[in-house]
Amino acid sequence: MDTIRAFSRHPSGMIGLAILLVVLVLAVLAPVLYPEDPWEMVGRPFAPPLTDGFLLGSDTLGRDVAAGIIHGTRVSLTIGVTSTLAAVLIGVLIGAMAGYWGGRVDDFLMRVTELFQTIPGFILAILLVATLGPSLVNVIVAISVVSWPPLARLTRAEFLRLRGREFVQAAACQGETPLQVVLRHILPNAISPIIVTGSLTIASAILIESALSFMGLGDPNAMSWGFMVGAARTVIRQAWWMSVFPGIAILLTVLAINLLGEGLNDTLNPRNARSGRH
Amino acid sequence: MAEATLLSVENLSIALPRGADRAHAVEEVSLTVGANEIVCLVGESGSGKSMTAHAILRLLPERVSIASGAVHFKGRDIAAFDEAAMRDLRGGEISMIFQEPMSALNPLARIGDQIAEAIVTHAKPAPARETVDARVIELVTAVGLPEPATIVRSFPFQLSGGQRQRVMIAMAMANNPALLLADEPTTALDVTTQKQILGLIRDLQRERGMGVLLITHDFGVVADMADRVVVMRNGQVVEQGTAEAVLRSPQHDYTRALIAAVPGARPVGARSRDIHDAPILVAENLEKTFVTRQGFFRPPRRVPAVRQVALSLNARETVAVVGESGSGKSTLGRMIMRLIEPDGGVVDFNGTDLLALRGEPLRQTRRRLQIVFQDPYAALDPRQKVGDAIARGPMAYGTSRQEAMAEAKRLLARVGLKDNAADRYPHEFSGGQRQRICIARALALKPQVLVADEAVSALDVSVQATILELLAELREEMNLAMLFITHDLRVAAEIADRIVVMRRGEIVEQGATAEVFANPAHAYTRELLDAVPGRRLFAGPGSLLQATA
Repeated sequence: MDTIRAFSRHPSGMIGLAILLVVLVLAVLAPVLYPEDPWEMVGRPFAPPLTDGFLLGSDTLGRDVAAGIIHGTRVSLTIGVTSTLAAVLIGVLIGAMAGYWGGRVDDFLMRVTELFQTIPGFILAILLVATLGPSLVNVIVAISVVSWPPLARLTRAEFLRLRGREFVQAAACQGETPLQVVLRHILPNAISPIIVTGSLTIASAILIESALSFMGLGDPNAMSWGFMVGAARTVIRQAWWMSVFPGIAILLTVLAINLLGEGLNDTLNPRNARSGRH
Repeated sequence: MAEATLLSVENLSIALPRGADRAHAVEEVSLTVGANEIVCLVGESGSGKSMTAHAILRLLPERVSIASGAVHFKGRDIAAFDEAAMRDLRGGEISMIFQEPMSALNPLARIGDQIAEAIVTHAKPAPARETVDARVIELVTAVGLPEPATIVRSFPFQLSGGQRQRVMIAMAMANNPALLLADEPTTALDVTTQKQILGLIRDLQRERGMGVLLITHDFGVVADMADRVVVMRNGQVVEQGTAEAVLRSPQHDYTRALIAAVPGARPVGARSRDIHDAPILVAENLEKTFVTRQGFFRPPRRVPAVRQVALSLNARETVAVVGESGSGKSTLGRMIMRLIEPDGGVVDFNGTDLLALRGEPLRQTRRRLQIVFQDPYAALDPRQKVGDAIARGPMAYGTSRQEAMAEAKRLLARVGLKDNAADRYPHEFSGGQRQRICIARALALKPQVLVADEAVSALDVSVQATILELLAELREEMNLAMLFITHDLRVAAEIADRIVVMRRGEIVEQGATAEVFANPAHAYTRELLDAVPGRRLFAGPGSLLQATA
């Protein structure tokens, strides 16, 4: 409760939350606002914004840009959230094992993590999608595979810090099993920074997805922002609106999630929260 | 004794922000410190004694301000000083040392540079480098640090707690202050180090004719140090006078209570505790060496913590393990709890080899051995309600939630907490109350052996006394055998049947409490006994025991 109250007093966090809520509502209402398939050619190509009944203009094949953006919201958010959840799951599991057991397990798991960290993330994602084939599931797999290492490192650091704490030792002395100790005492005390990093991971996942679609590696059946920017880039001098509006959509969503993450960081971290409330 | 008045605090009130537990941290406090005298400001935590000291240097936290009253230093009103003049005063004519020397030193700067900074900041024009270096060495030598040339090149983490406090004192002495404010300078140190640091402060004070305002909660320290005493409670001065008068014939009940709380000041009760020679815990040849890796090319660092230690504990018996920090006493306790795996040795508990147990049998045996940790702030999960913390143990062994919670509430009442405590979070309790919660948690599993690892060391002397009393009652009620780990011989004398003295990982002496205090066989034990503060006044636990023996 305290956290929620503190967060409601965090201006930039609340702005982020507001933008994100608008984006969510648009995603939910997409079939109502634009019931037609966004791939459908519904009018004259190259129509500028606010002409021919197009709010944001039409693209090179006469498809509605606004419809594309609204439907693209669903794709971006789905991919962002799902791949982040998968990354958090992998990262927390690996980080927790490394941090709790330490020693050789830790050495081994951290070397594996470093292996992933040394390969540039985006190139690995391209490689994975190119090999597995461009589909929604494969894009999610690729993004989560490149997103988990920072989460694993963070979880490991938190577990290392908490494992030696006296209340954790006390729980072990009280006869709680290692699993209970981890789930009841270590994880709840480590969860705040994980949530914060996780929220920021969603933003970067959306960016990776956009970049993959821009390169033509997105799901060919899903209308996505990155695809729209990519398809319109050759005509940017004649028809700026085709790439600018999807670009703004990416910018706003990523910005909103970053603001939200920052707000969470300030309120969930007790030291910041105290100074934040003054 | 008091010559010219150096510092006078007149009717000082400090207002706390709205929403604090009281309106004023300090109310109408008046006190004076003369040149060449030591004034002790005594009180429990929360009495406003630190706040008073910080107000003298105008170092109050944000949103806390002086509401009325004045502070005069050498006749000048400090409120009239501008910020630049205040900066000159701080670390110049008035210096301060703090409780925790680790957090008061910059961890990334060398000791010598930090002391030099204190000199250079206040010297105008800046002196030559050689002059400063020579002065740094002089100061480091003056505070009794070994090998000054090495010390100045060290980083804070390479020094012990006592050495760090000496460095803090050297910094405070850098500009020959007229007044030294010492805020609980020895509370974080063990007895022998405390004695050295207090001795150092007194010597420096005499040599330089300084005024010292020493803040403490321990009347033992007061007895050793003070010329005059000011006793504070809830932000108000309840009594002040010369040390002799306050200590010998205290006027106020609160002062009497504080003096009575000094361990070893109380007469030792009847010691016939009916203990039979029936060991339930026998440790033999326990051995532990800590190994730290130092990178690829350097050999790992080995620190032997416990060497060939043998220890036995009879049913219902309380054994105190006494020693300085680094003596291996905590490691010993944790090895018996299986929180640290020993390198070798045997621990026989009720006929089973504790060290051979793994998995489920170990978990089943664990409930018979419980531990109370030193720091009650670190030992409770901040996100777990107090009732859950206590009930979890029995529930882990199959007691139903209802039954466990009922038992938890009963235990909380037994350790002296209110009914609603079970539904609250640890941060809502004071240090003493938290330690009571920790004791309730340990006892929820009905253990046979309780390891108390410095269980009262982090507490105020007056709270210490009540916790010790509680432990003494509970061990009778529950037929507990107790392994009481402490650095404070006074505390050991209060509760232990037998005393084991450890030094550098080895047991140097053990025997019945009265015997050890009356006829210490080992030089180190005698050293520990001498270090007990307040021996002048309270005659020390040894002689009290001698009188009853």
